[in-house]
Amino acid sequence: MSYSAEVAADFRDALQDLKANKRLEISILTGIAKDNTEHAQAISEELEKHIKTTRPEWKLPALYVLDSIVKNVGTPYTVYLGRNMFPTFMAAFQLADEETRTAMENLLHSWKQPVPDSIDARPVFPSSVTQDIEKFLIRFRAINPQNPLPQRPPQGLPRSLPARPPTQGQMNPWNRTATPPQGRFPAPNDPRNRTGPTYPAAISPPIAIQPAPVAQQALPTQTVDFNRLMADVNQLLLNCQTAHALVPTDVDTKEKLDALKGLKGILESHSLPLHQLQKIREQIDNMAPPPTAQQVFINNPPPAPPFAIPAFQQFAPATSTPDPALNLTQILFPNGVPWTTTPMAPTPSLATAPLANPAAPAPFTPPPQLSGPPLITPSLAQMLAQFCQPPATPPVMAPTPASHAPVMPHAAPSAPVAGSAEWLLNALKGLPPTGTPSSVQATPLSSEPMTRQTSATANAEVELSSASMKRPRLNLYTKLYDAYPNLCRTCGRRFTFTTEGKEKKARHMDWHFKVKDPDAAKRGTHRSWYIDEKEWVKYDEVDETLPEQASNGDGAKAVKKEAKDKYVPVPQDVALSQAPCPICQEKFEHQWNVDANEFVWMDAVKVNGKIYHATCWEEYSRGSTLAAPSTPDSVLGKRKAEVSPAGLGKKGRVN
Amino acid sequence: MMNLPGLNLATPVADAPPIAVVEKHEHNLRIYTEYRFEVSFARTLTIKLLEGTAEYFGTELAPTQTYSFSGTKGAIFTWHGCRLEVSGEAESEYVAEETGMVAYANAHLALEGLRDRGGLEGGPRVLVVGPENAGKTSLCKILTAYAVKVGRQPMMVNLDPRQGMLSVPGSLSTAAFSSILDVEEGWGSSPISGPSPIPVKMPLVYHYGLANPEEGKVFKPLVTRMALAVISRLEEEPLSKSVGFVIDTPGSISAGKGGVYDNIEHIVSEFSINVVFVLGSERLYSDLSRKYQNRPTDEAVNVVRLDKSGGCVDRDEAYMKQFRQAQIRAYFFGSDKENGLAPHSQTSDFGDLNIFRIAEDSSNAYGHDEDDMYSRPSGIYEKTIPTLSIQNSLLAVTTASPADRQEVIRDASVRGYVYVSDVDETKKKVRLLLPQPGQTPANAMILGSFPEDVPGLVS
Repeated sequence: MSYSAEVAADFRDALQDLKANKRLEISILTGIAKDNTEHAQAISEELEKHIKTTRPEWKLPALYVLDSIVKNVGTPYTVYLGRNMFPTFMAAFQLADEETRTAMENLLHSWKQPVPDSIDARPVFPSSVTQDIEKFLIRFRAINPQNPLPQRPPQGLPRSLPARPPTQGQMNPWNRTATPPQGRFPAPNDPRNRTGPTYPAAISPPIAIQPAPVAQQALPTQTVDFNRLMADVNQLLLNCQTAHALVPTDVDTKEKLDALKGLKGILESHSLPLHQLQKIREQIDNMAPPPTAQQVFINNPPPAPPFAIPAFQQFAPATSTPDPALNLTQILFPNGVPWTTTPMAPTPSLATAPLANPAAPAPFTPPPQLSGPPLITPSLAQMLAQFCQPPATPPVMAPTPASHAPVMPHAAPSAPVAGSAEWLLNALKGLPPTGTPSSVQATPLSSEPMTRQTSATANAEVELSSASMKRPRLNLYTKLYDAYPNLCRTCGRRFTFTTEGKEKKARHMDWHFKVKDPDAAKRGTHRSWYIDEKEWVKYDEVDETLPEQASNGDGAKAVKKEAKDKYVPVPQDVALSQAPCPICQEKFEHQWNVDANEFVWMDAVKVNGKIYHATCWEEYSRGSTLAAPSTPDSVLGKRKAEVSPAGLGKKGRVN
Repeated sequence: MMNLPGLNLATPVADAPPIAVVEKHEHNLRIYTEYRFEVSFARTLTIKLLEGTAEYFGTELAPTQTYSFSGTKGAIFTWHGCRLEVSGEAESEYVAEETGMVAYANAHLALEGLRDRGGLEGGPRVLVVGPENAGKTSLCKILTAYAVKVGRQPMMVNLDPRQGMLSVPGSLSTAAFSSILDVEEGWGSSPISGPSPIPVKMPLVYHYGLANPEEGKVFKPLVTRMALAVISRLEEEPLSKSVGFVIDTPGSISAGKGGVYDNIEHIVSEFSINVVFVLGSERLYSDLSRKYQNRPTDEAVNVVRLDKSGGCVDRDEAYMKQFRQAQIRAYFFGSDKENGLAPHSQTSDFGDLNIFRIAEDSSNAYGHDEDDMYSRPSGIYEKTIPTLSIQNSLLAVTTASPADRQEVIRDASVRGYVYVSDVDETKKKVRLLLPQPGQTPANAMILGSFPEDVPGLVS
């Protein structure tokens, strides 16, 4: 795979030079990607990394590269890039100015369409990819209808690093792109048809617009907008999923996730009376708390400081014990990679520094540097924060009701705060699975066993008895799906969103790609013989999601290689040296073998005075002398003592 | 147009039930409901998941795939609600509100609990029993599929010769499942020489050769042999051991003789079964739980009753026969997903074949006395030369050599099957269909009365 790394490095170098929306560079990059589809994964990773890490003003050109690749090359890039589209897109979106955002939205819009002029009617990205982003954007626009978001590039270097205007004279670079076939992008909504410059030449000076963070709570509850409710639920679900992906072991988050999924299912499948919707609405609003520390990792570091400070203050008591501090660090940088690392962002270290020191004084004073960055308008951060429900992890959960924080930083999950998973579950319990909902109010009778289940430990015990089998445990069944949210859309296998899960899925997708061999039919495949007991007992199942395994025992590959490497010296006997292989009737080829220091026939064996191709012979002999049965003693050593020499032991119990 | 080439089983059912013609339409399934359908062998029903989630006996449907079913009686269940697009012709189809899935999912969760706590003892060793058409195989599939779904590698043992698992009918087989089950092809497929769109499973196969385990004298020894192999494998793989296995059984062993279930007891003892799921039959449940209630804790057998799902339909003999023939056809020619396999046809002399026919009079000399059976093991098979009567039958190629003693032949696993397409008694030649090219295997071959002849496999 070092070659793959090389290609990726080349691609990265080229990518780093891309600092504006230049047609030529983008088409070169697309060309590299096109010529190296076998390294698609490495290239996709490189591109994603670049979009996340490069300066905000260089992100859009990089996104155009992405766009060009997925539209001109298509698979497998759509698969690889689609996987992380949401974080990638969001990372760029958060830091973008308004104009760039519009451009990005146009991009997104074009991804929902089929590739223009293409026969394939499918959209560029499957809707599962675009949907999440779409949902977010709808929510975003709903909160900020006028878009009071002249959000600047966050480095706080307004003049020294002006957003780069596009190269003048390249007003409409994409229409002249070489790589796409002519007229490939005639769609009027294609962002590349825009005639204006990509970036505003000047960015509005930093304005500190603080959209009221309470705006959402203040929403009237008398009338319940169903669509908004759904959007909220979706958003909560998304946040919860993110939190769950980061801390998969957290039972609470998981329960909450289950509850939310259940709620969503009910909302989608039943039409609820108004008063119930209102109740749900209230609950959802309660679940969207004021900003907490959690937004730090949902957000990019730069806008974080203003919020991190209040969060830390709330945290101050908790940080006196080393444990939560540690946790918080983990939460802040779960994978060691924040969503966005801008090269010059100083904040991560600032944010972690005080926390890493458990002995930090209780009344936390923000380090002076924190006030250094100019006031930033983190309305996006705020907005995100509104949706972050508190009980993601214990330390995060603690500060939410500020009074809880000092008392029980860890015990918080046990307190069924309104808006916790338990409430939702209670609410959901009132709804019978198939009937029409009667009331949101939980009846104590039905809620009893459910509550017991939810409060049970991680892997709830299901008693193995006939009566227990009939008791519904609806919240547990959803875990069959929710524990592995990362679905392979080709075969339905599920993975997690953890790094490991993603790697597994990547290998799984590679495998799909490999077996989709159009020539397979022509090659005349056939059923293989079954393996015998001895082989089977030692056999390791092939799991396509694991890294390439060593071949199984005397697996076919090993044998093949061995056979190919066999050779015999070219016979002196004239008759023999002219004779073809008796099996396939093909002549042998002379070859100089360095090891033997003479001319040899490769892939040949001499059997009973005749020379055969080693591979032919092997195939032939495999058919005629199928392995004899192995004696039971040698194969099944485990029960050796109980097996009589005849292999016919009297029945003996094995434990 | 619906008939796929090569799959059209030429024998139409004599009294074909009226076929409800179903054009492309959508089904909205509410949560916890199930779409049940029956498709005849001559028709194809395609199903596509448009929205939501859905699963076919525990295996989730992928959102971008179109699944086609033929000769299937199946059900698609949803935990979250879904929208299905269905086209093709089904004999019957409806949406059921009452399903057994809650109980089956509970069974899975209970087994998961045992797996987590398993420790050195290993995971649950599960036996599924019940009368015919009670949904035993469906339950086994669901349990296996769910275990796979949560990232485990369960083992499955099929002791029902009436329907093959990863092999032809008449066989007993076992395999570990590390990847998802095939939705369209039952349990999936055994390895072929090329790539397969669904990961293949590697079965270990023994040949039983009769339809009913209650007859003949090879069932119990084969169970013993299979148990040896399975338990040895579990010892090799600690990961598999902690997951355990599930055993599917034929309905006939659940009938019992006067409250005695000889074969069930044999299986429980050989496989060290610790969980028995009884499907449907109240009497069987009561008999078994009485039998196993007073066992020492380290050998406890937990007998659990599960209701028969309302979706279980009786599969008549005509259907089962077609089902078996389709399995045999798929062994040689592959399912349509395998792009058609290329079996090899060749002629052999009578002398090249070492055929052992299962002795017909199975019961008179040995009766039900198993001690006898073990001590006097001759006369299991009689060596035969090919005659016209073996035309169209299936021979199991064992790993044993013809010189081996009969019980070695009996205990030998199977390398594969050959089909006798033609017998020429005057020239003393047989034409054989082999799964792959090569010489006619010189190994001992077993000829049983089951599965029945498959006329016209090679036309």
